[in-house]
Amino acid sequence: MEDYKFLFKVVLVGNAGVGKTCLVRRFTQGIFPPGQGATIGVDFMIKTVEIDNEKIKLQIWDTAGQERFRSITQSYYRSAHALILVYDISCQPTFDCLPDWLREIEEYASQNVLRILVGNKVDREDREIPAQVGEDFAQRHSMYYLETSAKEAHNVENLFLQIAAELMEQMRFKELPRYEQEQAHSINGRTTAIGDSCCSRLS
Amino acid sequence: MLESIDLSAPDVEEKINQSLGLLNEKEEELDKQLEALSARKSYLETKIRGITKALPNLQIVHSDSEQLAEMISFTCTLAENVSAKVRQLDVARSRVSECQQRVHDLLDLQLCSDGVQTALSSDDYEKAAAHIHRFLTMDQSVLEQTADDVQQDCSAVTNSLTLLQEAAGQLRDIVTIKFTEAVKKSDAASVERFFKIFPLISMHDYGLEKYSAYLAAKLDEASAKSMKTSLETPSNDKRACVVFADLLTVLFETIARLFEVHQPLIETYYGPGRLLKVSSTLQQECDKQSKLILNEFNKQRSMDRKIALINEVERLGTSSSSSALNSNRLDPKDIDLLLSEISIMHSRYQLYVRFLQRRISNDLEVGIKDTASRAVHLSEMDALIQNSDLCRRMQTLLGHYLLLERYYMENSVIKAVAIDTIDKASQTSSMVDDVFFIVRKCIRRAGTSGSIDGVCAVINNACGALETEMCSALRNQLKLGFPSGYLDLTQAYNVMLQGRLQTSDSEQARNTFLVYLNNADVSSECVTTLCRSLCQELPCATSNDRAKLDSCVAGLSSVTAALGAITDYGLQQLRVSAVKPRIGPWLDTFLTLSHNLTQEEFSNYEANEPFVRSLIANLNMLLLEFENVLTNSNYDALIAILVSEVTTQMEKVIMKSEFNRLGGLALDKEVRSLVTYLSNATSWSVRDKFARLTQIATVLNLERVSEISDYWGQDSASIPWRLTPGEVRQIMTLRTDFRSEEIRRLKF
Ligand SMILES: Nc1nc2c(ncn2[C@@H]2O[C@H](COP(=O)(O)OP(=O)(O)O)[C@@H](O)[C@H]2O)c(=O)[nH]1
Ligand SMILES: [Mg+2]
Repeated sequence: MEDYKFLFKVVLVGNAGVGKTCLVRRFTQGIFPPGQGATIGVDFMIKTVEIDNEKIKLQIWDTAGQERFRSITQSYYRSAHALILVYDISCQPTFDCLPDWLREIEEYASQNVLRILVGNKVDREDREIPAQVGEDFAQRHSMYYLETSAKEAHNVENLFLQIAAELMEQMRFKELPRYEQEQAHSINGRTTAIGDSCCSRLS
Repeated sequence: MLESIDLSAPDVEEKINQSLGLLNEKEEELDKQLEALSARKSYLETKIRGITKALPNLQIVHSDSEQLAEMISFTCTLAENVSAKVRQLDVARSRVSECQQRVHDLLDLQLCSDGVQTALSSDDYEKAAAHIHRFLTMDQSVLEQTADDVQQDCSAVTNSLTLLQEAAGQLRDIVTIKFTEAVKKSDAASVERFFKIFPLISMHDYGLEKYSAYLAAKLDEASAKSMKTSLETPSNDKRACVVFADLLTVLFETIARLFEVHQPLIETYYGPGRLLKVSSTLQQECDKQSKLILNEFNKQRSMDRKIALINEVERLGTSSSSSALNSNRLDPKDIDLLLSEISIMHSRYQLYVRFLQRRISNDLEVGIKDTASRAVHLSEMDALIQNSDLCRRMQTLLGHYLLLERYYMENSVIKAVAIDTIDKASQTSSMVDDVFFIVRKCIRRAGTSGSIDGVCAVINNACGALETEMCSALRNQLKLGFPSGYLDLTQAYNVMLQGRLQTSDSEQARNTFLVYLNNADVSSECVTTLCRSLCQELPCATSNDRAKLDSCVAGLSSVTAALGAITDYGLQQLRVSAVKPRIGPWLDTFLTLSHNLTQEEFSNYEANEPFVRSLIANLNMLLLEFENVLTNSNYDALIAILVSEVTTQMEKVIMKSEFNRLGGLALDKEVRSLVTYLSNATSWSVRDKFARLTQIATVLNLERVSEISDYWGQDSASIPWRLTPGEVRQIMTLRTDFRSEEIRRLKF
């Protein structure tokens, strides 16, 4: 068994073509894949990172954006620790769909899931959504906001490392009052969401 | 050597003797060397003589070899001259054979042009095609060149050329028309006849295209027929609930049969590596036919209405009005059948895809030797399958299936929880078996669909249903608590006398509590068993699929953590309401007894055991009440709770009492009886839990204060102490006969 302190599930959602798969590939394999096909269903990747000398295993679920895969992708929301909602800064429709995605998240994800809004493809010249607009949207819906480029490896590492650090922070915070935490989560009934280190920590 | 000897030294003689010895040894050695050298003398002389004799020979060898070198270089030049001539000869020879080829071609050209006309006029298309084929294998540019070269006969050659070109065109037209006619007349023999001619007249692509279209038409015809008969299936027929799965199966099987029958023909006359092209035409037809089937399926099974209803129900949440709405209009039995049908449809699709992949890639393997170009073709094949309309429709169908499956599973679980019944004969209630039956069934059904994403989604949903529906039911029940309104023996006796033997409300509530506590424990086991069997029985095509499945199963198995927390919560309830308040009074009797015993009192105490005997009887009664009701692991946990409560409360009453030596001795015996009793009550060892109490009794049972050093020390006999030195001192003060300054003086 590998040695790691925490296991976090990170799920990427957003319209097809915004660059979710490229972001994951960039982070896990360090490449910008040329012309790969659209994702079918869900893809699954693992990367272990180190934060404050602690090994953290990130289980990354890359979902397909098309409507017909919705039943598959929805089933991953509930146990996610972090949800990355991605749009393409050079494509207005992908931004306009964000409220629909938020509705899905509200319906299926855990209440206290960490949510991050990502505007991808900042390397492109033809930006349609100003950074401020994205940031405002994120703030209104209490999400973190980050602009990235999978192509030029801008902010990609940062995105995942920040998620790992934030989740670890949450976990530490919850770990202190050990017994009460257990009580609390046994009442709200989520074992696989944030706040349950006993099952997330499988080492 | 002698010089180094000091003659005045006392041991001079000894040293001289030593030196002499050494010198003698040296002499001997030198003699031996001399002898060896002189022995070699004659050998060396012979050698020298031999060499002297050989010297003149060397001269000869030298001149010979020079001669040889000259000869070799001469031969070499000669050979080079010869080979140049050979090369020239070779060129000449190849020209001759080329010339021969041209002559052959010219002769054949004549033959073909004559033959093709006769063949055409007698409708012998095979023969005509053979002539054209021969003509086409000739190098056209060379033929034209020849026509130029052989000036006197120029017209004959050009005539033949134009004639053959015309004939080829004519034949192409004829065969095309004949083929089309044959297709129209469904004349299979003629179709095959002309199909074989196309490649002879360089019409491979055209022939394949037409033939694929012909196969597609056959598929269309067969599908229309089977659709018609299927739609006439009476609704009470036992295949009625799977007609669309059957239709899809027939479609895929028809395609597979077309491959079986026609692939050998194609391969023989067109060569291997052509299947991909044929498949792409057939796939278009398959898309068309499957669309008809799936549209009819959607219509007849009212898929849109069902999906819309479920979406509406989910949007409204499981409020009363919506659940009334769905119970009216969505019959779970109906959905169950529908789900089975879809999972069959999907599994057939998966089989079909695998069939295509295997067939086409095998054909490419044989037909295309260049690996790079084969890889391109293989990715074309993947694109053909992935981007087909059928594939998209099946993905959509899988999406609908998952939505329905989730709805079915959630509602069945909710129902199983709602109609939960407690059976006296069982430690758990009906919902545990029911819920896990449903969950297992749904996951297995998804497994038969053959889609790993589908199975994973159902596993994820199962995890959700178990946590939100079942865990909360268990938790809510346990939160009501374990009613502590206990009857003591006299009360129970009175109740019996009054003949109120029917179970009281609180007794029923107690029973329900315990059953739910067991439910949580057994469910946790069920989850573990389920996960183990899923890992074994679900097949995975790739390692990535396996990783996906494993991590979803790991998510499911984490439900055991929630169930464990619920069990713990319930056990704490038991501690608070069933254990703690009851054993309090039992242990308090210890305070009513004197532990300052005379010898006579001690004998009495020992004989009657006024404290421990009734304590054990009471504990026994308490445990009996739970022994067969609780699961083994819950019962063990209860004993653990009992032990921890007994030991802490016992400690408390001891600390409030006073002892003399005999009182300590009595206590020591009492503790031993208690340990023995509880050890027998359970499968695990309770001794460790009693360590503190046993040690307290040991301290109180000392003869003298100083005797503690026999137990407390560095030596091997000493026991690991659970008491601090401070505690030991404090306990010692309970002994009325121990002097306090002696206790204070103790060193640990
Ligand atoms: N310029 C630019 N193009 C990108 C970037 N990330 C992805 N793309 C392109 O966007 C397209 C869709 O990317 P993909 O990762 O498949 O999107 P997904 O459907 O969200 O997974 C591909 O053609 C990528 O090359 C980026 O950061 N910059
Ligand atoms: Mg993708």
